Amino acid sequence: MARVAVVGGGLAGFVAYLTLLRGGVEPDEIVVFGPEADPAGVWRRRAAAIRQTHMRSESDGHCLPSSFPGLAVREARRRRSLAPLARSVCDRYHATVPDFLDHVDELRLASGWSPRPARIERVTPVDGGFELDGHGEFRHVLLATGHPGLAVPEELRGDPRAVHAYEPHDYAESVCVVGAGLAAATEWLNALAAGSTVISVRRREPLRRPLNVPRPYLTRRGLAAFHAASPAHRAATLRELLVPSYPPGRAWDEPLARAGVRFRVEPAVNGADQVICATGFVRGAERDLLVRRLVEEHGVETADGRLVLAPDATVPALTDATRTLAVAGVAAQMAYPAADTLAGARYVAHRFLERCRTR
Amino acid sequence: MSYTLRGRLESRLAALALPFAAALVLAAGLAEWWPVGLAAAMLAAVLVLDLVYHPVLRYQPGWAALPLGLVELGAVMAVVLAFGVRAPLAVALGLFAAAWLCAQLLGHAFLPMWRLSYAEDGGELGRRGGALVAAAVAAPLAAAGGLWWAHLPPVVHLAAGVHQGPLVVSRRERLVGEPGAVVRGGIVVAHKDVEISHVTVVGGVNGITVDGMRGVVLDHVTVVRPQEDGIHVRGQAITIKHCTVDMTGVPYGQGIDVSYNMDTGETMIDRCTVVGGQEGIVTHSSSAMLVHNRVERTTMRAISMTEMSMGGVMHNTVAHAKGIGILCGDHSTCMIDRNRVTGTTVDSASGDRERAGYGLVVEFGAVGELGRNDLVDNPLTMGVFVGSLVHWQR
Repeated sequence: MARVAVVGGGLAGFVAYLTLLRGGVEPDEIVVFGPEADPAGVWRRRAAAIRQTHMRSESDGHCLPSSFPGLAVREARRRRSLAPLARSVCDRYHATVPDFLDHVDELRLASGWSPRPARIERVTPVDGGFELDGHGEFRHVLLATGHPGLAVPEELRGDPRAVHAYEPHDYAESVCVVGAGLAAATEWLNALAAGSTVISVRRREPLRRPLNVPRPYLTRRGLAAFHAASPAHRAATLRELLVPSYPPGRAWDEPLARAGVRFRVEPAVNGADQVICATGFVRGAERDLLVRRLVEEHGVETADGRLVLAPDATVPALTDATRTLAVAGVAAQMAYPAADTLAGARYVAHRFLERCRTR
Repeated sequence: MSYTLRGRLESRLAALALPFAAALVLAAGLAEWWPVGLAAAMLAAVLVLDLVYHPVLRYQPGWAALPLGLVELGAVMAVVLAFGVRAPLAVALGLFAAAWLCAQLLGHAFLPMWRLSYAEDGGELGRRGGALVAAAVAAPLAAAGGLWWAHLPPVVHLAAGVHQGPLVVSRRERLVGEPGAVVRGGIVVAHKDVEISHVTVVGGVNGITVDGMRGVVLDHVTVVRPQEDGIHVRGQAITIKHCTVDMTGVPYGQGIDVSYNMDTGETMIDRCTVVGGQEGIVTHSSSAMLVHNRVERTTMRAISMTEMSMGGVMHNTVAHAKGIGILCGDHSTCMIDRNRVTGTTVDSASGDRERAGYGLVVEFGAVGELGRNDLVDNPLTMGVFVGSLVHWQR
């Protein structure tokens, strides 16, 4: 039986792979299954679609196994300047998207990353491990399958004006942006910069905070109480924590203030030329075929449509002293609320490594 | 970083291990204890502050290290002052700055690289890390203990019987006399940090001479009839306790004379008995505490604090002094409280009206802070002369 499999060749899988290497797992003991060679491929396309210029994450929003050295150190070294470090200690450093993608490319080339181009749709528990859809048996498996798809409001399906923010698009003369998160805020500014009139449609006022979740939830300090809560309580906490938000700051506010009547908020989609759905991703275990089969075929517990996981992001019903089934990415939010970020990928990877190293 | 309490403390201890070790090396190199005291002060102050920070700082941005560092510096200085750690300011600041820098490098770079989950664990170092931190803290403490042990002075036992002096103590040691040990001809302390106990000195120019040697302790020593002073101290503060000085038949010597140590700390003279001599206990230009002593039958003054001395004269018993019982003179500042002076006699031969048998005299620009002294059976109770000032404690 082979040792370790990572199902998913995106950023979460890539972080896990690098962490396993750093932790002493031999490259030939790790098999990564993913459809494309570029771990940032999907992310790159989405970032390009919303014309994202900077990362929301800070210096530690990278793919390395340890939080240090971060992207600020990398930039400081490249530019021979202390300014990125100074911004970093003030929580004001956000790497540019090209810098981040360069960093991913460097790591990819240096690490020998080469995922097997296969799509795993079923994980079957076997004695001391898991069988992966005819691709072999593995003792430790990490599922990093990513977001199951883009969310489009039901009433806009089939509307020829509608396009999802993460799909390539230009801007019409009048643009209605649905949503209140980072993608929506980015689209407001993009459309205004393109000369459009922007109508923001949102169910609630967006929350302004630097990161996806309050910072204590990134460490054991905030996580301890979260982990100690019941699954239902954790799910309720996630509903509160994960409301749409985007960072505070003049860079976001001033263009809106300058726009005057070209930017307004309305309660419903109106007759705009274009509707951009900045509504994120579909959510729920049932939306991901592989995860849904785990739930249906092996009785894996869910709460509010989310997989119920142990604090180390393992699936309790299918993990024991001899084998590990862990989950990374958005599906791991019951273990780590910011699991769909790079910090979340690192959190899961560290715990997965610990299991691989000791078993 | 959002530290957990455990993470904050473990990270702190890890960061302090290196400066603590450096302090130990410094202490060993200098043969001084203040580096260890300084490191201990840093440890105590910052650990207490960590307990304060924890509920207040749910998230601590990197820049906060600077203002928090200044707060910690203030706290460390307060502890250092409170406990009297006598560290040179520049070195102390240097050590603190190095410790701060070490903490930043460890917390932001080395610990996250050493323990991959350091950041998300809120600064906790895990089981191995905890054990390492414990070892890192225990090792310097053990080393400090070892250093302390190694620095204990050798004990030299002076056998019973008479030893011909003068005996010169020229190295750091504890000289302990066995019962009946007598040195004839005096003892000269010629090294710092010497402790002499349970030794009787007979004769000598001075009974015991301490000239410019710091850290000297005289404990349970007896001096009998030297030619000049019983215990003669110059230029350094020392500790004298439980001593007996017999100056009978020595009309011009002082029982205990401590002079010119104003800038070297405070001399403590505690529970000594002086009989005879010109002055029983006298200080010139010195800082001293004279407490619980008994002085009898002196020919000039029993206890004198003079020539810009500063200190306390408290709980002493003076009996049968000629002229003056207790003197605070010549621009000295003396706190004089709860002393008992009895049986002072008039020195009519001197022709000096200040020596008319006063229990207590404050004279020549001196300042006396007077408490409840028991001045009885003296021809005159108290005199204040020549521009002196007396404050009464309530």
